[in-house]
Amino acid sequence: MKAVILDGIVLGLQFGLLGVGLTLVYGLAGVLNLAYGQIAVLGAIVVALRMDAGMPAFFAALVGLAVAGVIGLLLDQTLMRPVYRRRGEPRVLLGLLLMLGVAFIIDGVLEWRYPIESLSLRIGGDPVEIIGVRMRTGSLLASAIALATGAVLAVFFRYAVAGKAIRSVIQDEEGARLCGVNPARARSLVFLLSGVLAALVAVTRSMTGPVTVTAGIDFTTLALIVAVVGGLGSVTGAFLAGLVLGIVNTVSAFYIGTYVTTIILLAAAAVTIVLRPTGLLGAGRT
Amino acid sequence: MLVVTGLCAGYLGEDVVHGVSFTVADGEAVAVIGSNGAGKTTLFKAMCGLLRPSRGAVTLDGEAISGRRAHDIARRGLAYVPAERHLFPEMTVSENLELGAYPKRPSPERRSLVLDLFPRLGERRRQRAGTLSGGEQQMLAVGRALMADPQVLLLDEPTTGLAPKLAADAYAALGRLREHGLTIVVAEQQVPLALALADRAYVLETGRIQLEGSSAELERNPEVQRAYLGVA
Repeated sequence: MKAVILDGIVLGLQFGLLGVGLTLVYGLAGVLNLAYGQIAVLGAIVVALRMDAGMPAFFAALVGLAVAGVIGLLLDQTLMRPVYRRRGEPRVLLGLLLMLGVAFIIDGVLEWRYPIESLSLRIGGDPVEIIGVRMRTGSLLASAIALATGAVLAVFFRYAVAGKAIRSVIQDEEGARLCGVNPARARSLVFLLSGVLAALVAVTRSMTGPVTVTAGIDFTTLALIVAVVGGLGSVTGAFLAGLVLGIVNTVSAFYIGTYVTTIILLAAAAVTIVLRPTGLLGAGRT
Repeated sequence: MLVVTGLCAGYLGEDVVHGVSFTVADGEAVAVIGSNGAGKTTLFKAMCGLLRPSRGAVTLDGEAISGRRAHDIARRGLAYVPAERHLFPEMTVSENLELGAYPKRPSPERRSLVLDLFPRLGERRRQRAGTLSGGEQQMLAVGRALMADPQVLLLDEPTTGLAPKLAADAYAALGRLREHGLTIVVAEQQVPLALALADRAYVLETGRIQLEGSSAELERNPEVQRAYLGVA
């Protein structure tokens, strides 16, 4: 049981990191990025290709993160322009449909060009014993990266001027503009960050198992569930929700079976919407 | 010096404000009075960049600011306090004030000036803005606008939702700001309060300026008395 919970925490940290990138873009720009998982996979495939070409894993990973970040930024600067000019429901719908299109394009291109490519980072070293459970170093490194990234994000959003400016746009865009905050700049920054985070999750996931070209839809679905449960726009909420859902995932997989976990997670999201429409934490709270 | 020339603005191609012109000298307090729907909010939104004017110009100290975006105009020294306040509800009072100084870090002098003016904000600095009372939210909205050391403070109906006592307190605070030399333009339906604060006033009706004059003149004007001061 202890091992199941620990595995759940490892998974939950990944879930949390996955949710953050999606939740921020939604909270700030009102865009549900359905291509989020595909951008993550694209980043992972870039890493795999660089490594195939002989680049050391660490530098390959940096290239992957950078490419995914630039793709996020490009989407913000091009395809999302008409979305930002709309308000309310038309904005959400247009953003959703355009991003769905991007998801299909990335999926299609990856499956056409690199059908058998996948990323798995093997982290060397002997398993480490934690409260009597032997943990693989890959799991530990992935968790450490997720925790560190979460901590950096929390500090950035709580204390940095740019972080506060981003939160101000999430909470009241008009108020933010009146304070001299440029919402377009905040959006670009968050789209860039979201792309980097997506690729980072794909890289850390590949430390415990392969990330294949078709994994995009799974990433997107999980990110969506985590973001909804955590409260769209909330960083801490996403991590909290990620941890809870990670543990729910491994426990239900252990006692019932892996086939049922996605359904249970979706049910958790549905129940959250019914009981607490704003998620665990409300929008814009760090 | 704030100069508004022939400003036209509205929504969906339909103008609500038709060629409004007025000037505000440095250190002056000016009221724009008018009933609901006269175009006061539209006029102010067009001045601060939340709305793009369809025609006309706004200059601040000789520099054209009309047509620029709201965040840019705010950084150039025209601070707008909307009637709905638009605070950041999940942030503390301190954080709201700090964002008022964005993109700079807030200076300690500025902060203490605001907290001297509104001691209540100091007591509540760790509290989330969303949990403040209406009067405190109004103080915070004005305080936040002051943090950037603006040239001109533009206030839209600062008494919205306030009990008479709190409305009078709000105007007392504005009076102190005026004594500090701040240039103030206030749109108001509560005409007696506004005229008591302002040196001069403009009466806005159906998007046009119908009357202008010193506050004392307007207080004596029979039309103003009948329409806005409740004198039969």
